[in-house]
Amino acid sequence: MTENTDLLTLRSVSKSYGPVPVLHDIDLSIRDGEFLTVLGPSGSGKTTVLRLIGGLEPLTSGEIHLDGQDISRMPINRRPFNTVFQDYALFPHMTVSGNVGYGLSVRHVRRKEIARRVAEALELVQLGRFADRFPAQLSGGQRQRVALARALICQPRLILLDEPLAALDLELRRQMQEFLKSIQREIKTTFLFVTHDQEEAIGMADRICVMQAGHIRQLGTPHELYYKPNCEFVARFFGENNLVAGKLGPVQGEQRPIETALGRLVCSISGQPHLKAAADGASAFAAFRPEALHLANGEDSGNRFSGTIADLAFAGSSTVATITAGANGAAQRLRLRVPSRIDGSALKSGETVSLSFAPHEGHLVLA
Amino acid sequence: MNALPRPSTIFLAAITTLVAVLLYSPLFVPIVSSFFTISQGNVDWSSPTLSTYAALAENHDILAALRTTLIVGVCTVILSVVSGTLLALYYHGRRSGRSFLQFIIFLPFLMPPIISGLALLIFFREIGLERSLLTVVIGHTVFVLAIVYRTVLMRLQSMSRTLVEASYDLGATGWQTFWRIILPNLSSAMVGGAILAFALSFDETMITILVTGTQSTLPVRLWAMMRLGFSPDINALVALILMFTVLLCVLAARFLIPRQMATERT
Ligand SMILES: Nc1ncnc2c1ncn2[C@@H]1O[C@H](COP(=O)(O)OP(=O)(O)OP(=O)(O)O)[C@@H](O)[C@H]1O
Ligand SMILES: [Mg+2]
Repeated sequence: MTENTDLLTLRSVSKSYGPVPVLHDIDLSIRDGEFLTVLGPSGSGKTTVLRLIGGLEPLTSGEIHLDGQDISRMPINRRPFNTVFQDYALFPHMTVSGNVGYGLSVRHVRRKEIARRVAEALELVQLGRFADRFPAQLSGGQRQRVALARALICQPRLILLDEPLAALDLELRRQMQEFLKSIQREIKTTFLFVTHDQEEAIGMADRICVMQAGHIRQLGTPHELYYKPNCEFVARFFGENNLVAGKLGPVQGEQRPIETALGRLVCSISGQPHLKAAADGASAFAAFRPEALHLANGEDSGNRFSGTIADLAFAGSSTVATITAGANGAAQRLRLRVPSRIDGSALKSGETVSLSFAPHEGHLVLA
Repeated sequence: MNALPRPSTIFLAAITTLVAVLLYSPLFVPIVSSFFTISQGNVDWSSPTLSTYAALAENHDILAALRTTLIVGVCTVILSVVSGTLLALYYHGRRSGRSFLQFIIFLPFLMPPIISGLALLIFFREIGLERSLLTVVIGHTVFVLAIVYRTVLMRLQSMSRTLVEASYDLGATGWQTFWRIILPNLSSAMVGGAILAFALSFDETMITILVTGTQSTLPVRLWAMMRLGFSPDINALVALILMFTVLLCVLAARFLIPRQMATERT
């Protein structure tokens, strides 16, 4: 129920630093209680979005609405949001409990009440024993959790996290990802989480907002982004993908063919009306995942082409083959992922193979 | 760890010791000799005594000069720390005008003291300010401001900007952020700057001679005494000043060296 009401809405928000535009007409709705991840390459404007919402930076134009009310001009210290900064920003001269209680004590909450809630918050992040330490005496993961407790204690409507795990090593990162997710489930607060790590995004997010060059390219569940990317950027950025350029042919129900250097490929367009509406002959890409591609056998319908194995890379449970396909002038490099076998793969470098993918496993993106 | 062969290590150690002895032993001479009396121009090494210290305590001129020095020092510290900190806060993160201001602040510190002193003297005469302890305090403040400003500014710059942002983000007002976040993080730099300012003011001579009225500070007094030849209580005075200065330096170092204090406390 609460899942679908909008907590925060950005309406054509733009931001420039001096003459340099950084965000262009961003529209974004954050649902109450969700874990929304903002994903994008470096410099795409993720931090800027967070700072605008948190009030650390003024908008150049547009509006931000909270529960339907314009808060664009509300000062930072009155917004019911709290931020977990990338460098944690713990106050070095205060103990852990001083840090965590700061948000309450500046609001003149009674001392007893502060002590109780600090203890509660530290319990939640499993740092009860560390209350009297100084930040310099904590490990990276512990500081991270102090920063989180400090943000949680004010019971914000929205928690903003700017690449909070970037400074941690891989193992700790995994633990913290699970930890953050479990805390979010427990306290049911909305999280807006910035990262440039797509695996992190896929693993944690209810929905992902992909940004590039100051634009939001796509907003959807990890599944939607993976299987129905709406543009070339998302198709390439999000997971491994094979993209083959071509021209669209006439719609055939829920499928549409595309004429490419590999021949005529038929892909699914179900649930994507803009692909149905696109004109015949429009430039587009056929996109299919390395794991959707397979060695052709007799029963395959359509989408068959042959290619030469240029390279084989063993990657544990699967083996990735790099394949050169298509006529000489328009050779395409494709990736094929097959389960690894104990006796070595059935594939051999230099071999010519016949490949195919099922129409429902291919999709189209407009160029 | 130590890649040097043994003979060269010994050689290096010998050189270092020699340099240290040559450089620093003159400092110890007055301390040692302050415990002996001088008769007919020769130090009487036979009997250590505290009589020079007793004589010093009787010397009212010197005690008055010491009091003046302390008054000037304290006033200078208060003035320079307050204004240096305010300037640093104001100009931190501001591009325009900053380099010009820094130039102005550093000028009196870098110029030969006699030039600064003369400039101040002319200035005071032009605005009709009588020479007094007030002019001395102003002169010293102008001189040491650079040190305090620089010390505080460096701390401000090394302080993460996100600390302030985090404070606002957690609901604090500007005033609360200043008192509870910015000031505590600056305080050790301010104390360190204050100690340095005091030490500089304590032995400032040139500017003081030029802008003082009738009262003289300790270094000025010493200067005057030296022209009349040494008296044994000067040794005692120098010894005391030396010890005091060393103490100040140790304190300043403690406050200015970036703190690992929290880590070392446990
Ligand atoms: N204070 C600033 N002044 C001028 N330009 C800025 C400022 N802050 C950010 N930018 C510019 O805005 C653009 C977006 O920056 P932003 O920090 O939002 O990127 P990001 O997506 O968070 O990148 P990263 O993953 O590297 O953190 C960048 O091109 C950056 O150079
Ligand atoms: Mg960023």
